[in-house]
Amino acid sequence: MKIAGAIALAALAISPVSAHHSFSTEYDRTKPVSVTGVVRKVEWKNPHIWFYVDVKDARGRVTTWGFSGAPPSFLMRQGIPRDAMKVGDMVKVDGFRARDGSNNASGGRVTFADGRSVFTASPEDVRPD
Amino acid sequence: MPFKLLAFSVLSSCSGSVRGSAFVVRRSHQPLRNPEPRTSNFEPNVNTNREERTQNRERQLSRQLIALVTVAVATLAACTAAAPGAPESSGIPRAADGKPDFTGIWAGPGFAHTGKDTDTATVRRYTEANMPLKPGAKELLYRKYTGNVRIDDPTAVCLPNGLTRQIPSPYAQQWIQTPTQLVILYEYMHFFRVIPIGAPNRPHATDIEPTYMGDSIAWWEDDTLVIDTIGLNEWLLDAYHPEDGSSRWHSDKMHVVERLRFSDATNASYDVTIDDPVIFEKPWVEQWAMQLKPNWKLLEFICDDNDRCRTGNCTEADVQKSAAK
Repeated sequence: MKIAGAIALAALAISPVSAHHSFSTEYDRTKPVSVTGVVRKVEWKNPHIWFYVDVKDARGRVTTWGFSGAPPSFLMRQGIPRDAMKVGDMVKVDGFRARDGSNNASGGRVTFADGRSVFTASPEDVRPD
Repeated sequence: MPFKLLAFSVLSSCSGSVRGSAFVVRRSHQPLRNPEPRTSNFEPNVNTNREERTQNRERQLSRQLIALVTVAVATLAACTAAAPGAPESSGIPRAADGKPDFTGIWAGPGFAHTGKDTDTATVRRYTEANMPLKPGAKELLYRKYTGNVRIDDPTAVCLPNGLTRQIPSPYAQQWIQTPTQLVILYEYMHFFRVIPIGAPNRPHATDIEPTYMGDSIAWWEDDTLVIDTIGLNEWLLDAYHPEDGSSRWHSDKMHVVERLRFSDATNASYDVTIDDPVIFEKPWVEQWAMQLKPNWKLLEFICDDNDRCRTGNCTEADVQKSAAK
């Protein structure tokens, strides 16, 4: 991660924002999830960005988790570049699972391998502590 | 000296308004057309002959003329720089017709304004303390979730947010102003408003079909742009959706008046008056602001695109389908 991107992402960690709809219609704040894996794909799209993380279990099986973040415009207007998170980055993601129980969640907080911890979700969304 | 008194009165009359400036210009020119008569009447040197007196008087008038022109120019500069309408008219953009020009890309009330290119999108909700609820009307304003997302939070299924929620939406908006029309392009959900500008307090059309954005007309009150809207659907008031499971609504009798006024060259106050006789005892005002962002551009926003967990039922992405290894 470049320094500029790191600074921009750090700024995101303290900023409030809102999604285009209520958090609770899609995610369950009573079901937190935390995974660690490798970024497989980033979709910088409306109405919210999505990024996918390959998570390997103890048996070596890989599950691809999908995480929803803030709208691209929110990130861009805070100086967050679209390449802030890159395919191949090792990340820990904390969020809340989708209501259907699938391997999808709100990607409330992302922690990079170098220790930087940032929020990619809308600040108005429920965030992990 | 009399011309000094005049100069003082000219400077004093620099009230800060554009009209004041125009008035100053006229007054500052009056002495040039009517040079000071009293000066010669009080000439002390009785021994000066007629020719000398004429020359002296010409020199004096010449000095006064130069002084007054200097004062007039200085006054004009001072009035212009010190912001006519201080601070509201100071260097604000103006259209060819002299009206304040709201044309440009704005970070509306849905942002924490920084004065820089990077603003933080921030959902603003109307302030409950401002709302004079009618007795028994709380249930009309606050409605418990029904379990049907189309009612509880229609934007979650890409239905419109409605005027009072669009005004503070945390997305950019582009305003295009002509002498007779104001067009507002909202980035969020690609909504638009085409608002005719005309006579103050003129009536709306009589055959309005209620819509999400309503029927808006606009007029000028000095440098304030007033947008008056009726004909709104019964819909959500704002983005209020706390975990207690309720949302806030307005009725189809709601009347909204937006008042826009530049506070300086790049900021404008944005007062929204809500008058909903079904829910509130009297009109109330929310005071917001917006800020010009000349380096921004409107982005495409397709609500249906990639909305993968709509209503909590997620669609498996391609990378997830191929993930089992």
